[in-house]
Amino acid sequence: MSSLLVISLAAAAVFAIAALGELLEQRAGILNVGLEGVMLLSGTFGFIAAKTSGSYLQGFTVALLTGALVGLLHGFFSITLGSNQVVNGMAIWILGFGLTTYIGYPYTGPLGLKPFPTVAGLPTFFLVALALAIAIWFLLFKTHLGLKLRSVGENPSVAEASGISVTGLRYLAAILAGMLVGLGGAVYSLVYNPVWNYNYLQGWGFIALALVFFSLWNPFLVVAGAVFFGILWQLSLYPELLFPNVFSRYIWRAMPFVITIVVFIVLSTRWFRLRWGATKPEALGLAYQREN
Amino acid sequence: MPLSAQGESDERSVGAARERSAGRVVLEARGITKRFGTVVANDHIDLTVRAGELHAVLGENGAGKTTLMRILFGELQPDEGEIYLDGQRVRFRSPRDALRHGIGMVHQERKLIPAHTALENIILGHPKTGAILNLREAEREVSALCERYGFRVPLHAKVWQLSEGEKQIVEILKELYHGARILILDEPTSVLSPPEIVKLLESLTRMAKEDLAVIPFITHKLPVVLEHCDRVTILRRGRVVAEMETRHATEQTLAAAMVGREVVLQLERVEVPLGDPIVRVQDLWVRDDRGLFAVQGLSFEIRAGEILGIAGVAGNGQEPLAEALAGLRPVERGTITLDSIDITHAPVLERWRRGLGYIPTERREVGSIPTFSLVDNVLLNYHFEREFSRWGILASGQARELTERILREYSVVAAGPNAPARSLSGGNLQKVILGRVLSRKPRFLIACLPTHGLDVGAAEFVQRKILEAKQSGTAVLLISEDLDEILALSDRIAAIYEGQFTGIVPASEASKELVGELMAGLRRERV
Amino acid sequence: MRAVIGDYTIRVERRADLRWWHTTLASVLAIVVSLFLVGFAFLRVGADPLEVYSEIVKYAFLSEFGLPQTINRATFVLLAAFALIVPLRAGLWNIGMPGQIYAATLAAFGVAYAFGAKRSVNVQLPGELIIPLMFLAALAAGAVYGAIAGFLRGRFQVNEIVTTMMLNWAMLWIVAHMIREGGPFMGRTAEGEGFTLPTSLRLPQILGVPLTVYIALALAVLLTWFLAKTTLGYRIRTYGESPRAAEYAGIDATRISTLVFALGGLLAGLAGYHYFAAVPGVFKIPKNYADFGDFSFYGLITGLIARNNPIAAIPVAVLFGGVSGGARFMQGKLRLAFGIDYALLGVLMIMMVAFQALAHYSVRVERQAAVPRPQLELERGESRVESPRH
Repeated sequence: MSSLLVISLAAAAVFAIAALGELLEQRAGILNVGLEGVMLLSGTFGFIAAKTSGSYLQGFTVALLTGALVGLLHGFFSITLGSNQVVNGMAIWILGFGLTTYIGYPYTGPLGLKPFPTVAGLPTFFLVALALAIAIWFLLFKTHLGLKLRSVGENPSVAEASGISVTGLRYLAAILAGMLVGLGGAVYSLVYNPVWNYNYLQGWGFIALALVFFSLWNPFLVVAGAVFFGILWQLSLYPELLFPNVFSRYIWRAMPFVITIVVFIVLSTRWFRLRWGATKPEALGLAYQREN
Repeated sequence: MPLSAQGESDERSVGAARERSAGRVVLEARGITKRFGTVVANDHIDLTVRAGELHAVLGENGAGKTTLMRILFGELQPDEGEIYLDGQRVRFRSPRDALRHGIGMVHQERKLIPAHTALENIILGHPKTGAILNLREAEREVSALCERYGFRVPLHAKVWQLSEGEKQIVEILKELYHGARILILDEPTSVLSPPEIVKLLESLTRMAKEDLAVIPFITHKLPVVLEHCDRVTILRRGRVVAEMETRHATEQTLAAAMVGREVVLQLERVEVPLGDPIVRVQDLWVRDDRGLFAVQGLSFEIRAGEILGIAGVAGNGQEPLAEALAGLRPVERGTITLDSIDITHAPVLERWRRGLGYIPTERREVGSIPTFSLVDNVLLNYHFEREFSRWGILASGQARELTERILREYSVVAAGPNAPARSLSGGNLQKVILGRVLSRKPRFLIACLPTHGLDVGAAEFVQRKILEAKQSGTAVLLISEDLDEILALSDRIAAIYEGQFTGIVPASEASKELVGELMAGLRRERV
Repeated sequence: MRAVIGDYTIRVERRADLRWWHTTLASVLAIVVSLFLVGFAFLRVGADPLEVYSEIVKYAFLSEFGLPQTINRATFVLLAAFALIVPLRAGLWNIGMPGQIYAATLAAFGVAYAFGAKRSVNVQLPGELIIPLMFLAALAAGAVYGAIAGFLRGRFQVNEIVTTMMLNWAMLWIVAHMIREGGPFMGRTAEGEGFTLPTSLRLPQILGVPLTVYIALALAVLLTWFLAKTTLGYRIRTYGESPRAAEYAGIDATRISTLVFALGGLLAGLAGYHYFAAVPGVFKIPKNYADFGDFSFYGLITGLIARNNPIAAIPVAVLFGGVSGGARFMQGKLRLAFGIDYALLGVLMIMMVAFQALAHYSVRVERQAAVPRPQLELERGESRVESPRH
């Protein structure tokens, strides 16, 4: 049972780190619905780097760099060109899905490195996720930079009038977010389940995106939600633990997706939607054109 | 900052017209000219503002006030003319640049972030805020400012929780905190109830005493100007027509200078025999977007041929009330009946079919679709009618004809029925919306801020059409923030304060003072 | 933005209005540049990209075997594009085509299964009764599966992108359950494949292509008319432009979003029926059914490139149907790694977004007769305004 908890926390780390990155960027008003694509790209390139070099360090470095680049690309479309952010996100997702399928294919199979070390029996990256949640909370609510970031996400023209560079801050958020989301993807492909397969992420990026929406943009709720989904997924992957021999293993594999939707429905109470509307960054997903 | 030559006594009662020998000149604009195409918005305007004075700029809509203001705080560059600050010639590249030189601007539409606290809004972007927020230190400084000028505002409340008046104060504090010595205010009185106006102007007067120059730009409320300001500059059609000290002026001279002719009378209220009650609202409770009760137990009825005006400062529940009546917001408790039929929970379309007509506040976001043609915009209120949708197919000829008729009858300036709505000016768009709604001959019309932001001609046209509807027996609920409009059009006036009526008075008994006190929540009539 | 290089000034400005040729040019450029970029994959294995592309064209559009395949693939892409376009006109994103396609396919084969079609390929069944039933079952299943996401979006404001994605994965595994490891639809001969449809239950063909191809073409016209001229179409567009104005006009958000997703699902369902129950040489749920789920994302990009116009989607779908199939063919011939058509999909998508965004900008080069300025000078926004510091 405790090993189930440990693997759940390892899964939670993937959700949490990616969602925290997205949260940071959404707080600055940028919506990237293509988390899945960023995670696939970073996870795949990180996997290839680690597999060919035999070093986790190289793998994670490549993943972070990839994430930063993709974040920059999404930023360029959304901030400088000002095109529809949902379309941009879709493009990032399809790009990631298409490119990694082709590029990663020759590397299909296990990573072949020693399992990533744990800390005191706990998954290292879960602890990293916790630390990141605290750091992001501190950044957003206790520093001037955080106040500026949130202002840019709420009302860029007011922020600009207060002497803040909307473009600069949004790029900063997009790149940082890209790195975190990419790290999440690499945690999946290098630590949580180090076996490459095409489209291996199974929509986890989309779940992380939903987590941000349901967290009311609060980093600690993101981590709590990630733990919940981590446990949910592990339970449904090892159904024998709870319900031996009830369904075929394929039905059990479909189950977490169905349960995820049910969770969304249960969460979407009227009370929640009111709170949601009130906390949503007002300029989320909207391009900002400076008036001349 | 030493006070420069000013002989004055501190005991002078606040609120009285003050005599004060003028301080040194801090801001001088010379020969400011700005053209937009062929229109000359500002024609060689001179403005001299001295330290320590409250210097109002008066003018009607379209007199060039806004343009002058935008030039003074650096949003526009003048085509000709110079600006001097403390005798030095300056050019502002941006509002930020103007603020660096000490010119602060308080806009009519709020430039605040509702989700942040008042304090966070005030310190946002200031260099001395430092990397890690030190809210305690900032609070001390802002509180000191508040004390100095007599402002009271909860600094740790989120801005969305504040009243419009408090938001304006937050904005003033923000400008001061960021180092403004000259404060320009755009229509500072428009969002306030009469007693709040007096309080604000008292604070502004205190600020002026501290060697700050305060320049409110004002369209209405002349008595207030006379009472509190030291000096006025009056604009008309882009030119300065008068500059005088207020002690030499009367309300009549100011008004005459602004308008350039005898002041026209407001529209005459038409008395029509009232018919049966059309709308009856009983103990209505409605929540706002944040789940709080914005409408708390309102009851009223409106009879055929009657206009019930709702007077109130923005944000006291008017909007949720209108939305609940129109079916866009669920009713928590209470009943609404239209022609004795309960429509409390009826869907939107059923209400329209039963004779509702609704003119929403937000013309471009709710009342129309900017990218759609005018025909498609007219269809917003007709797509569900059988004559316009036969076997599920739109009757486009019918819709086009109706649109053309509206364009004609309401003398709308537009390229034609297929012009996109975004190509119309605010006034013309409002005429289309009004025409579309009134062409349905509604039994019950809800008009929300129908003339807000329109020029005088369009506003008068809209008001006349509403009166015509009333004459033909429509029951009208008029929601407006313009007390003059309410007083001029309504048969009865209900003052709303924090979601409750503080009084419903017949027009014959309503004075500006009475309604003003009611809408500020200072007194309550039996409702 | 303005850059001065020598005697020349290059101005980049945002256009106020886009004309149709701007967007068409952007789409064409996106496709050309993507094909160019993917050409490098062929270069890497020592093939001449130009030659490869000419072979792709020859195979996909001129060969006896390739052309019908292209038409069938294009029809699939076109229907998937419709499945995107209808909800997108209401401002909602349907990326659930794979799930809706799988659901419809299961329903169609379920009907056949119920009539005992699994027994043998040669079993004689009343096709004139069962084929329409299979067809309708497919449409209904696609519509219902699509409607779930639309209803949840309208009623509970659950993000439709996330829901449709989850529904895709759920249905992917349900199909696996049905055709693998002794699942009810598993074929008698091959492990991991669905049973083959009896000849009596196969959709008739006209001029060598299944009836569904003509249905898809007719739908392009029908959908255009539906969106432009009918009351429902008007309500969909109104909701898509402004949900608040739609609410004011009495248009019910839940109903509209459920409706557009049901329609989208129905169209995707038709795509599923078309490929698995009507295309010659398939007539079963194949082992690699997931590839077709992925392939339906070509519909997404087709819809976007055609800018939500069902008729404009036809040529785009034909191109992608041909190129993706041809690329797969060349991939086998050149022994390239799996997924060259996936790579093309990804590159196309990003290029499409880039060029459609760039179409908003105009670039003008002006020659100045004045004093030559050798240095490169970049000016942006504010600083163009004269200021005391200059």
